[in-house]
Formats: sequence, C-alpha cells, structure tokens
Amino acid sequence: MERDNLKLLGEFLHTREKIDPARVKPEATLEELKVDSLLLLELLFEFEDKLGVKIPNDIPPPKTVGDLLRIVDGIKPSAGA
Amino acid sequence: MAVPRRVAVTGLGLVNPFGGDLADFFARLLRGESAIRLYTRQDGALRPLCVPAARCENFDAAAALGETLPYTMDRYSQLGMAAALSAWQDAGLPDGKDVPRDDWGVSWGTALGGTLTFESGYMELLRNGRERVSPLSVVLGMNNAAASHISIQLGLGASCATYSVACASSAVAIGEALPKIRSGEATVMVVGGSEAPLSYGVVRAWEAMRVLAGGDENSAARACRPFNSDRQGLVLGEGAGAMVLEEWEHAVQRGARIYAEFAGFGSTSDHNHLVRPNANGQARAMQIAIRDGGLTTEDIDYINAHGTATREGDPIEIAAIRDVFGPRAAGLAVSATKSMHGHMLGATGVIEAIITVLSLARKQAPPTAYLDNPDRECAGVRHITGAPLQGDLRAALSNSFAFGGSNTVLAFRAAH
Repeated sequence: MERDNLKLLGEFLHTREKIDPARVKPEATLEELKVDSLLLLELLFEFEDKLGVKIPNDIPPPKTVGDLLRIVDGIKPSAGA
Repeated sequence: MAVPRRVAVTGLGLVNPFGGDLADFFARLLRGESAIRLYTRQDGALRPLCVPAARCENFDAAAALGETLPYTMDRYSQLGMAAALSAWQDAGLPDGKDVPRDDWGVSWGTALGGTLTFESGYMELLRNGRERVSPLSVVLGMNNAAASHISIQLGLGASCATYSVACASSAVAIGEALPKIRSGEATVMVVGGSEAPLSYGVVRAWEAMRVLAGGDENSAARACRPFNSDRQGLVLGEGAGAMVLEEWEHAVQRGARIYAEFAGFGSTSDHNHLVRPNANGQARAMQIAIRDGGLTTEDIDYINAHGTATREGDPIEIAAIRDVFGPRAAGLAVSATKSMHGHMLGATGVIEAIITVLSLARKQAPPTAYLDNPDRECAGVRHITGAPLQGDLRAALSNSFAFGGSNTVLAFRAAH
C-alpha cells in the first residue's frame, strides 16, 4: 500500500470533514470517516487528478480505507496523463 | 363554513450587501444609504469586469454554516442557507431534526442557480484545457440545491420546491406557499430566495442588454435611481432572504412574535412580450393580491415598487398603480429600494417582501434613494424621498415583475 496515497487521503478528509488524520487507517470504514457517495466521487476525482490516472467506473464499491487504496494503488498512470 | 386559516410572518433573515444583520439593514435603508459599490474582477486574460454592483463582500460561509458544509454548495446556496438559518433563529424555532416536521416545507426562488459553478466548469474545460469538471458540479449547480439544503439542515419533510421566474422568482416562491398553509397541507413554510449572479458571463449578458447603470468609484453608490428623470438602468446585486411563514394559530399558541399577516398573492402574465412590461398585466396582479387578501385599495398604505430604474419599466409600473388606485394613487406612498440594495434577480422579491413586512411592523417605510428630480412620466403617486415614511401602515404591497412577463404581487397586513 502506497504511503503517499494514505497521506493524500488523510489530508483530503482533514480539509473537507475535519477528520483527524490519525483516524485514517487501512482498517477504518469509509462510513465512520463520513465518506458518503458524493464524497467518494470527490476522492476518486482527487486521486485521478493528483496521480494522473483514470479510475474506471466499474470498480467494486470500497467499504474501507484499505479497499479504496488498493483500487487506487492498482491503477497504472495512463499514457500522456 | 370553516374559517380560512391565516398566515403569519414569524421569522425574517437575510444576507445583504451592507454586511450587517436585519436591524442594521433596515436602519440603513431608512437613512437612504446605498450598498452599491464599484465591483471589479480581473481574472487572467479576461477583460476585467468593472460595474456598479451590490456584493456581499463580507459574507463568511464558514462562520455562517460551519467549515465543511460550504464545500457542497454553490455560493447561491451558501447565501440561501445562511438566510434561512437566520430566519429560523429569528422565529425562535428550536434546533434539532429529531422533531417530526412532515408538514413543514420549503418554497424557494432563484433565477440563475449555480451560475458560478457552471462558469468555473467552463473555465476548466475551455480556458485551462482540462477534460473534466468537479464531480459535484451537478449538485452544486442545480437550481433546487439551495432549497434541498434548507430542507435537509432544518429537517422539513413537506413540499420542497424551487421556482425560477427570473426577477420574480422568490416572490412567486413566497406566494405559492400561501395556499399550502391555508389549505392545511403545511403548517410552517420556510420561503425566500437566493442569487449569486456576479459571474463574468452573467454580468456581460446584462451589459449586452444595455440595461446596466454605469459608474465609477465615486458615482457607483448612486448608480441606481428609480423614477428619477436621469435614471440609467439597474444594478446587479447578490444576496438572499428568507421568511418563516406559519399558520396563525400555531404561531399564537407557541407565543411567536408576529411581524405581519401574509394576506394575499396575485400572479399574472402579460402574454405579449419577453421584456417589454405591460401596465395591464401588472395592474391585474395588484388587484388579485388585494382581493385575495380580503383587502380593498383603501387599505393599502405603502407599495414597495419593483422599480428597477430602467427607462422603460418605471413609468409603466406607475401607470399600473394609477390604474388600480385611481384618485387615491396621488396620496399613496411608494418607494423603490433597489436604489440601495440593487437588483438581486431571483432573491430581490423576498428582500423587498422583508422590507415591506418590516415597514408594517416598525411603522416606517424607507425612501427611494437618489430620487431628487422625479421624472414627469413617473408622477402621480406619493414618492417617498429623503426621510422615511412614518405612521401606522395598515397594509402594503410588494411588487415583483419578471422578464418573460410574469407579474407577482404580495399583500401584507399589519399585525398590530
């Protein structure tokens, strides 16, 4: 699991929902971090933007921080991005 | 036959370009003060905007709504939510969504909705060469976003509807809540509207219509001069207003302060031209509102005019007032407060309704600012100039007339 992506997620949730970054751990559920469907869209957008990747629409819905980061870590940067 | 249910105005709230609270806003209007300033915006290579406007420069969304909520809102929703919370507190209604409020609703107005969201999306695509826009663009930009946020934050489970009728939007929203409370469908309605129109595209569009008043640093404050012989057009403004409307007995039973009775609503269409107003359509709307309120022309002591300060519009409104009130028109007090708070498009109807309600409650009505040389074409009513009108006002009208030809008139009766 990429440490930078975990850090990025922590910073984002701190800005948006005032979540303590210490709570953003792989086993934490997105629900307890107040990540609803809209916020998840923003998170995916943020990762796409920062990492220059394209996350497909048909990903399995992540339940935990670990699920989400596995999805993000598994995407390779697209050519030219 | 059952006695029809009456509707009380029990809460008022706004976000206004003076930057202060409701009492401050009304006190400044009574003094004839203008909130209009020269608005300049420079963004990269774009030709700068430089027009007189009434902008809510000091509005602090995080202070009003908390730090996280504003991220999910366009500015027009932020302004609206803040105004609604303020009206809610003013009405003395308790916080907390655990109380069932399934017969309490929202009736909101906006002409343009999330225009700033759409503009920033286009900037990303067309100027910055990006391929994507924010995933929140849809829910930020949609015209019913402000109303839905209000419904969610206050826990209101009855109808939640948004009316988009150009410059009459929030007046229609207020009016459409009246039958809901009268019929028993709703007990309480949070009503009003919000607008944040100072984007490049919107300002340029109004400039292109040649109806915006010009001005510089020194003259901007007096740029909007309704009914004056040298009037030169309207001034755009941003802001929001909200009222709590409440079934009369419900308000009395909880010991609420009642500002005024919301007595009648009149709505007509000119059905002849998109932008040229029509005295007959406006007169019919006033007559319907007066009749709907169980009033006669004899009962009306003040009219808050639509009065935008366009060459064409102002004399037509005065002609309509003369038609409705006949010989009484000459002594009927009229003022156009857009001279001070600007034209807030979809929010302007509620801002002016709030001023009308406060005029009844406080027994004084603000003047039209900068009306030092009334146009002969706008003669035939008693223009309030200089000092405010003082006295026991029994009932008053608030006029809102929209591009498209939709006319809306709200009638309020003093509670005292």
